Amino acid sequence: MGSITPDFRFGNLVGSIIQLVLVILAIVTVLILPMIFFALFFVPLPVVNGQVLTPYLFFSMVVDPSRTLPIVKFLMHTALFKAAIFPGFLFASLIAAATIFIERKLLAKMQLRVGPLYAGKVEGIFQLLADGLKLISKEIIVPSGADKPIFWLAPVMFVSTSAAVVSLIPVAYGWVVADLDVGLIAAFALLGFFPLIALLYSWASNSKYPFLGGLRALHQMIAFEIPFFLSALPVVILSGSLNLTEIARSQNIFWNIFVMPINAFVFYISSLAELERIPFDLPEAESEIVAGWLTETSGMIFGLIQLGSYLKLYALSALFVILFLGGWYGPQIFPHELIPGASSSNISLLKIIALDGLYNAVTVNSIFWFTIKTFGIILLMLITRGVNPRIRIDILLHTGWYKLIVLTFINLFVVLTLIYGGILGPGGIILPK
Amino acid sequence: MDNNIELKNEKISLSVSNEILKSITDKFSNRIKIIYDIHNRSKIMVKPESLVEIAIFLRDNFGFDHVESASGTDYPKEEKIEINYHLGTYSNSDLLPYVLVLSTKVDREDPKSNSLINILPSVELFERETYEMLGVYFIGHPRNERFLLPEDWADIPPLRKDFRSKGR
Amino acid sequence: MSNLEEKIDEAKKLSMQIVKDTEDDRLMTLSVGPQHPGSGHFRFVIKLDGDYIVNVDPDPGYVHRGHEKMCEYRNYFQNLPQLERPALHDSSNILYSYCLAVEDLVGIHVPRRGQFIRAIASELDRLVYTQYWLAIYGIFLGHSTMFMWPAGDRELIIDLFERFSGHRVTHCFSIPGGVRNDFPYNFKEKCLTQVNYFEKRLKEYEHIFYNNPLFRQRTEGVGILPKEDAIKLGVTGSVLRASGVPYDIRKVEPYDIYDEIDFKVQHMKTCDSFARSYIPYLDMVESCHIIRQLLDKMPESGDVRVKLQGNMKGPPGESFKRVESGRGALGYHIVSDGASRPYRVKISTPSFRNLIALSYLLVGSKLGDMPSIYWSLNYWPIEADR
Repeated sequence: MGSITPDFRFGNLVGSIIQLVLVILAIVTVLILPMIFFALFFVPLPVVNGQVLTPYLFFSMVVDPSRTLPIVKFLMHTALFKAAIFPGFLFASLIAAATIFIERKLLAKMQLRVGPLYAGKVEGIFQLLADGLKLISKEIIVPSGADKPIFWLAPVMFVSTSAAVVSLIPVAYGWVVADLDVGLIAAFALLGFFPLIALLYSWASNSKYPFLGGLRALHQMIAFEIPFFLSALPVVILSGSLNLTEIARSQNIFWNIFVMPINAFVFYISSLAELERIPFDLPEAESEIVAGWLTETSGMIFGLIQLGSYLKLYALSALFVILFLGGWYGPQIFPHELIPGASSSNISLLKIIALDGLYNAVTVNSIFWFTIKTFGIILLMLITRGVNPRIRIDILLHTGWYKLIVLTFINLFVVLTLIYGGILGPGGIILPK
Repeated sequence: MDNNIELKNEKISLSVSNEILKSITDKFSNRIKIIYDIHNRSKIMVKPESLVEIAIFLRDNFGFDHVESASGTDYPKEEKIEINYHLGTYSNSDLLPYVLVLSTKVDREDPKSNSLINILPSVELFERETYEMLGVYFIGHPRNERFLLPEDWADIPPLRKDFRSKGR
Repeated sequence: MSNLEEKIDEAKKLSMQIVKDTEDDRLMTLSVGPQHPGSGHFRFVIKLDGDYIVNVDPDPGYVHRGHEKMCEYRNYFQNLPQLERPALHDSSNILYSYCLAVEDLVGIHVPRRGQFIRAIASELDRLVYTQYWLAIYGIFLGHSTMFMWPAGDRELIIDLFERFSGHRVTHCFSIPGGVRNDFPYNFKEKCLTQVNYFEKRLKEYEHIFYNNPLFRQRTEGVGILPKEDAIKLGVTGSVLRASGVPYDIRKVEPYDIYDEIDFKVQHMKTCDSFARSYIPYLDMVESCHIIRQLLDKMPESGDVRVKLQGNMKGPPGESFKRVESGRGALGYHIVSDGASRPYRVKISTPSFRNLIALSYLLVGSKLGDMPSIYWSLNYWPIEADR
């Protein structure tokens, strides 16, 4: 911010805008339109008005209001949309990006400073974009003697495993990428893959500090997986199913956290340890082992690992919400129709504006409450970062192997007592709907 | 230099330091020389052979348990290097502010001196620094090695007077 | 020159020794070197057996500039700017000791108001240094809030320095004969305002840092230095006071007007890393009391300086004077032969004296304890190397 900006000339501004528009048009025409056509040939299209929808028909229908909304609705329910945009990769990435920005600002306010301020007009809101562009343009330095296939593959594996965990999370009823019957066990199995990736990457870096960091990451993540599973066990017993959607639906009367607060606490601590966040960021302890197993990452590899980390943060917070905080249930605050009386009228423009057929009040409400609760848990994880120093490895292992497991067993006995006493669970007095 | 400042006795001097100097002169009369004795500071000059014995006597009888500083000074005109140990005490509460300077002079051509490391362990790093800066070899010190200077130092010890800084 | 050949042989022998040591498969040699966020301008080579440290070899000298040699080429006043560089943010104290030694040599007496001003500058510098030390301690333990808060509050004190000396960090304010110039006219009120606010902030540090269970877990019972060993190794400053020896030069051998000031010497008996971290904080609280007393008792007006000739000749003799700086006892041994330049200046810095405790404490501890032990020893590499 110490540079002198050149004098403003309106002609230059107009010229640059026109140049930008022309470049965008050129790229859209040469690249994006063919790609859309190509994709549409392979995406199954619905039958509308007795005609099989072809890509050419698709484009001509955009201007006809009565046929646009059903197409959009159909496309929104395809697997590709769910996996890539909502509630899959793009949604999670946006939440991860917002988390990074909020974290930097929140920590700055706690520490008597301002945080990112200059990138973007409003309080540095484009800082993340600037950082991403910077990371893409950096050179990736591979250490000599490093194991090249694993060195290049491990970050990609990291991001893809995080994305796989994200794909199991239901955001609203019916909105989940992979609706498995054993969803919870699949989530834990995927989480068990992360220590392996850390160890492989640290070994492939061929250097002492990553080696120490990788061993620490291995010890830490394995030590906290057991309290992690055990704290979710009473939830499964209560709801009678391993499917994440069913677990969330079984909490429509009361939230699980009121019955098992200790387990929620243990789950929270274990997820902090799985995420390698302060106070458990030993594998990247900066003052002892430079940057731990991430020492040799540079450029986009570092960017990928950050993205994977924050996707995992979102996934574990969302898991906490689904297991203990009642998933997506909350008071209905969205109206039944966006514009009352629109669906029964005949004016098609009104129907488009009211998103008739597309807008489902219950779903939007679910998404809203789910997002609010997830952000609440993420905020809790961020505040812990500002207040605590780093823990030492032997204290951490002692906590993970002894204290947390004992705490989970206490809550397990409480829940079992309630179930066999006939109060909760299937066949009890308080039944889920 | 020391013929200018013999026995500068001022009016304010610790009675305790008088007692110390008296007992030292009683025991080792011909082997030491008192250079000065002012408020809270005294200096005695000993011969290199009796350095260890006098240090043991001072530690056991008066409680001088550590050094505040230890260094050397180069006197090329007299062809001698003077080694100073500033002894202090933490345990003897009468002598807390008092610093006794124990010094000896060694030959400049082949400087060797007995190390005090077994008597006062705190001189370890000071003697190592004196070795590399002035070239004095301490007999009995486990590591007479380069300490602060760079690994490729190939010149004379820098604190000697015939070593000139660049450009001076 | 046979001396040169001897040195080359010695260097070869040392390098062969390093190669031989690394052939022991069980031990891993880790060089916590100067390019490391956990060590500063200092290198020490650790041999690890699993997670335990077996051998430590400190290797200072990366910032050695030969201050003692440089003193022999400059006269007594020209030495001041270069002598305050080893302790950058503690510069008033390192010059205070030099000024006391020179004044003792020449035999002059500083006017009363000058003595008070020197003492105030020294206490403020103690606050500045300890804030910086706390900030880096936070970083070493991974506590980023503890880095930001002291670094921010330190700016208030540095602002005070800028008012009366014109510089933020290396002021060159205390000179032989007194101080350079008097305080500005409303300095007392500003100083009191800052010190009052500062004391309130100190209470918050206690909440977030010293009472934090994670910090306590990492430092209590770690790096124990028993009292007898502390005395034998000759450590100084807060390291000594944490081992139960209440030795503070301002009380033991009061210089200037410290015999009129009433304050406590803080010491603790637990001898561990937590005590070594807590005592500088307690010293800061004491310094705030001392500053208030000094501001009250300072004479309203008067000379602040005895004007000495620029290239004055020091009378033949020696002097050795010590001062309690932010880290410990800083001593100057000046030998003069009657010329306008000192014949020999030996600086005895507290960091150099505490270095011997590093190898003593680290051997046998875990690698995870290394930051808390190393930084609690108050070791400043530039001061140790001079």
